[in-house]
Amino acid sequence: MAAEQLLLTGLMGVLLVAVVALLTRVEDWRSYTPLAGGGGYGGEATHAHEEKPGGLVRWLTTVDHKDIGMLYGLYAIIAFAVGGLMAVGIRFQLITPEGALFGNQFYNAILTSHGITMLFLFGTPIIAAFANYFVPLLIGADDMAFPRINAIAFWLLPFGAILIWGGFFLEPVTGGTIQAAQTSWTMYTPLSVEQVNPGVDLMLLGLHLTGVSATMGAINFIATIFTERGDDVNWANLDIFSWTILTQSGLILFSFPLLGSALVMLLMDRNLGTTFFAAEGGGAMLWQHLFWFFGHPEVYILVLPPMGLVSLILPKFSGRKLFGFKFVVYSTLAIGVLSFGVWAHHMFSTGMDPRLQASFMAVSLAIAVPSAVKTFNWITTMWNGSLRLTTPMLFCIGFVSNFIIGGITGVFLASVPVDLVLHDTYYVVGHFHYIVMGAIGFAVFAGLYYWFPIFTGRMYQKRLGKWHFWLSMIGTNVTFFALLLLGYLGMPRRYATYEFGPGVAPLNLVELSHQAASVGAFILLVGQLIFVYNLVVSWLEGPEVDEGDPWDLEETGQKTKEFVWHEDKISTALTDGGDEEIATDGGEKATATDDEDEDVMTDGGNAESAADSE
Amino acid sequence: MAETEKVFDRETLLDLTVNVIPLGILTIFFAAYIVFNPFGFDSVISGVQLAIIGTSAVLLAILTYYSGAAVSRAENRQEALEEKEAAELEAEDAAAEDATEADDDTAEA
Repeated sequence: MAAEQLLLTGLMGVLLVAVVALLTRVEDWRSYTPLAGGGGYGGEATHAHEEKPGGLVRWLTTVDHKDIGMLYGLYAIIAFAVGGLMAVGIRFQLITPEGALFGNQFYNAILTSHGITMLFLFGTPIIAAFANYFVPLLIGADDMAFPRINAIAFWLLPFGAILIWGGFFLEPVTGGTIQAAQTSWTMYTPLSVEQVNPGVDLMLLGLHLTGVSATMGAINFIATIFTERGDDVNWANLDIFSWTILTQSGLILFSFPLLGSALVMLLMDRNLGTTFFAAEGGGAMLWQHLFWFFGHPEVYILVLPPMGLVSLILPKFSGRKLFGFKFVVYSTLAIGVLSFGVWAHHMFSTGMDPRLQASFMAVSLAIAVPSAVKTFNWITTMWNGSLRLTTPMLFCIGFVSNFIIGGITGVFLASVPVDLVLHDTYYVVGHFHYIVMGAIGFAVFAGLYYWFPIFTGRMYQKRLGKWHFWLSMIGTNVTFFALLLLGYLGMPRRYATYEFGPGVAPLNLVELSHQAASVGAFILLVGQLIFVYNLVVSWLEGPEVDEGDPWDLEETGQKTKEFVWHEDKISTALTDGGDEEIATDGGEKATATDDEDEDVMTDGGNAESAADSE
Repeated sequence: MAETEKVFDRETLLDLTVNVIPLGILTIFFAAYIVFNPFGFDSVISGVQLAIIGTSAVLLAILTYYSGAAVSRAENRQEALEEKEAAELEAEDAAAEDATEADDDTAEA
């Protein structure tokens, strides 16, 4: 029996190696080097550039920041689809009070996995995708400071995802011995210690890997922004997106190692009999303190870069520079610092001393100010501006609108007496979903559409982009406003069913609100299907963008360095093949700028406008 | 001192007011909890209570100071560089003008 299994394993190994070898020889993996050919082990390969092999090997071995950015993006979109389908499952389950689709355990599993997937496998990686691709371009660096560490940081993630989702795959194979984790994303002890399911251990190990990945990425970004800036980029003209990535990286550096340590302690409690979180040891509350000391900065780790994206993109379509650029920079830093002093506002109802509650309330109220400052800056930038309602701009405006609702509901929760009433209800779920989907998700979409011409060389279908926006906007507000109402009605969160008596909540209204939220989720689903279709089809067949300034940013003096790079790339591609008309490329550029700027139009002019625009 | 005054000029201080507001809120709460504390004073608990607010405020003040100084210094250097470049350009223009005038004089002569 053992010999058979060994033979089978060996055969599977040979088969996998054969598949990989075959894949590496497949030509034309839509590499964006036009001369790229296939490559493979031992075969003659035509290389577009000597430093990059062709085929799949290129993507497996790349250390180019743009390639790694694309890999992060692909990974995050897949995770978004998985997490999104889990959310749809949750919403369909809750259409009826007794639960329409799943048993309680499977509901708990997808609830847990939805949260972890969206935060750790979609949120952080999609931001890393933008940052990897664009921060070096925006700051005039050749690449990241540590390109190989950059690649390692990415390649830890797929293994993290496999471990986190491992229970789902292993449950049918092991006859239910290993199941998907059902701890909720907060993994509160003693529940997470006492669940004997090994799927929880797999999830904890997977989370640990994603944490290591994020930390490596953060160190890399800090080093890159400090040491790899171009000669013309300084602290005064560093773009706002890079500022937010720098702050986010600082937060990751101080918070993720703590999560890693807490996860190891939890694993030891589960498997080695330690008592870090046992009643006779550190106590269950220790986990909550450690988790939320990481968890609240994590919220800002996820929201600061999207704020940077909106601060970067929104002025481009408002016809004017960002109002109060430095206010946004300093308020970003303020949020970064204060985010470490608010963690226990997640724990107001745990019975902690009221004097401690009062201090966490104070810092939580103070941190609302820098966020509000940013909101006023975005609104003032648009005020009397020359707005162009392109898809990225619509998503930016949607971001501001949703962020106001998500932010203000959060300010209420920062107040101890209000929180004690609303804690653990759907109000909290509605509040943070307005932020994570309504704000972070929208900013991500804005970034994807805005830079689509750069990373694909093509333009998306504009009509579908607008359908995507409006369905997302309506879907988000229908779903998450209904959740806020459910919270006011007293509906507790995390429940797989809600067949409770009228003493708990008015069942008819609760059911109706759940159904409204599910309708909203369906609208969101349709919107995201359109998004994926548009992304794929436009990437393959969209009209090619052959100009370096597809958004006419030069008109308002807001052409930033990444579009200068894009323009250079296009003009360089035209001169490939030894064409001697190189001078005409320079001439073409000259026609795009004012005559009197001719002296500075190639580098200085653009760099200057980049600096001015931020 | 002169350096500090130059770094924290009026414009920079105005920019930094954005962080003075949360600092002000923290200071008010800090003072209020000292003056008005209905739950009584306990050296450990009250110490932690004030430390959470105080540490947040101090760290925010330090980061604001250093980031404000870094941005302001970078700005000053950039302005100085631009002024220098403009002066050089002006000098070059003047030299070119002189040369043209000299050529004209030679031609007239």
